[in-house]
Amino acid sequence: MNNLSSRALFIVKRNMWSYKDFVVPTILVSLGEPLFYLVAMGLGLGAYMGAFGGKPYLNFLVPGLITTSAMLSSSFECLYGTFVRMIHEKMFDEYLATPISAEDIVAGEIIWAVFRGLISGLLMLFVSMILGVYPASLFGYILIFVLMATVSFLFSSLSMIVTSFAPNFDFFNYYTELFLTPMFFFAGVFFPLDKMPFFFKLATQLLPLTHAVAISRAIYSGIYAPLLIVRFLILLAVGIVCFFLALYFMKRRLIK
Amino acid sequence: MTDDLIKADKLVKKYGDLTAVDGISFAIEPGICFGFLGPNGAGKTTTVKMIHCVSPVTSGTLTVFGLPANVDNRKIKSITGVIPQENYLDEDLTVDQNLLLFADVFGIKKAEAKKRIAELLSFVELEKKANSKINALSTGMKRRLTIAKALINQPKLIIADEPTTGLDPQARHLIWQRLRSVKRQGTTMVLTTQYMEEAEQLCDRVAIMYEGKILKEGTPPELIAELIGNEVIEIQIPAEEDKPIIEKLSGNDFQFERVGDSLYLYCRDGRAVIQKVMEMNLPRVIHRPASLEDVFLKLTGRNLKE
Repeated sequence: MNNLSSRALFIVKRNMWSYKDFVVPTILVSLGEPLFYLVAMGLGLGAYMGAFGGKPYLNFLVPGLITTSAMLSSSFECLYGTFVRMIHEKMFDEYLATPISAEDIVAGEIIWAVFRGLISGLLMLFVSMILGVYPASLFGYILIFVLMATVSFLFSSLSMIVTSFAPNFDFFNYYTELFLTPMFFFAGVFFPLDKMPFFFKLATQLLPLTHAVAISRAIYSGIYAPLLIVRFLILLAVGIVCFFLALYFMKRRLIK
Repeated sequence: MTDDLIKADKLVKKYGDLTAVDGISFAIEPGICFGFLGPNGAGKTTTVKMIHCVSPVTSGTLTVFGLPANVDNRKIKSITGVIPQENYLDEDLTVDQNLLLFADVFGIKKAEAKKRIAELLSFVELEKKANSKINALSTGMKRRLTIAKALINQPKLIIADEPTTGLDPQARHLIWQRLRSVKRQGTTMVLTTQYMEEAEQLCDRVAIMYEGKILKEGTPPELIAELIGNEVIEIQIPAEEDKPIIEKLSGNDFQFERVGDSLYLYCRDGRAVIQKVMEMNLPRVIHRPASLEDVFLKLTGRNLKE
């Protein structure tokens, strides 16, 4: 790990420079999907659902969609974004011949993906505020920011591990279709998990997004159960483990 | 020389079952241009990748600037400039931005970077393109920009991996001139190439590589004199004619080789031989000075091996 240095920030800067021209399209894309869910299900479907735990369905949906948005943006950045830079643009080969180490490159990519996740999450926060849904307290804004950063860190690191094994783009479909998408549906974003069968509930606890959604929901309701700190520590711990695994597997792929 | 800048001893590189570099030893003095020549797949690029620390050594030892070459050696990388086989340029950025960003990698302060970039762009004759995007550049321009990039950290060692492959003659000559002028300033250079002309233009010493091994090492004139002689006489003639020709030439100092439709005669002093060949009145005879290409083909075989 002594190969990890502040040079990682160079990669963030480099991505920032080349991103500048694409700010508008990428924001539109990363805003797209969760926003459509918000409108279609929150406003559209929600209009027929009456009160959902005492509040409109939109209020139930927002906390989950905010974390999902951070999750998807950071994941895609470390899947497709990193893959393009590594294989098609040969960017990593270029920097490996400089004092920037493989670890710096991968860490820089993950930091960059966290930034992208935060942008998407904050955009969703902003849009939901326009629709009248806010965190329960001012302190909640800080908490939701920390949560989005943690979720982005976890999923960018996890996606980076997938990328380290990916022979081509198609490989990512397994991960997105068989892991990210089901998680989106079953982590409690769209409906409470309480009434689901026991084993189903148990299985959902293995999905990182479930914990993130539970915390997010608490930030919006203002009701904090003590168990939430455990959920947060799980996210953080899984994130840290995935981060170092990502460094290891990517280095193995980059240095031959 | 005891102060070799690069020293390799029984250097081996394996990728799984494939041995790319098979126990080579060499030493490169400071200030010279050393060339690795060889066909595709000979192990040239793998060797230089180990020298500039992007590929780990499997076994044997390799030191650069007296330091062990390994992937995590930032010290070696910070004073080495690399011209890779492929241009790594950021297509989304301008020429100027590409260099500015790269200067940042080496921790060069912005004011100093701007100064160096202006100098380098004029050095590679791209000063008018400073604000162009990369995809507006020709292949030759991209290559020149890659050379400017490799020089941004004022390296003490330059690695040039096939610097002119795929370029037109004008672009190639411009790059040769620039590399020679960098060398004149005392920078050590390690070059890989499959063009013998390039090696003769640039290299003080060459190592001819084939299938992961160094077949022969020396200065180009030494190698030519040792293995070929001074002159080559190429006779395009059916193989049945070889025997009578060789018989008529007996008594002269020469070697011969039959390849495809041609008979090659290698001579130290070709005057007597060429006189006799002329007397034979053969239809297609070429008499020329021996070149590194003859050495290369003699060592690695003139026939296509794949």
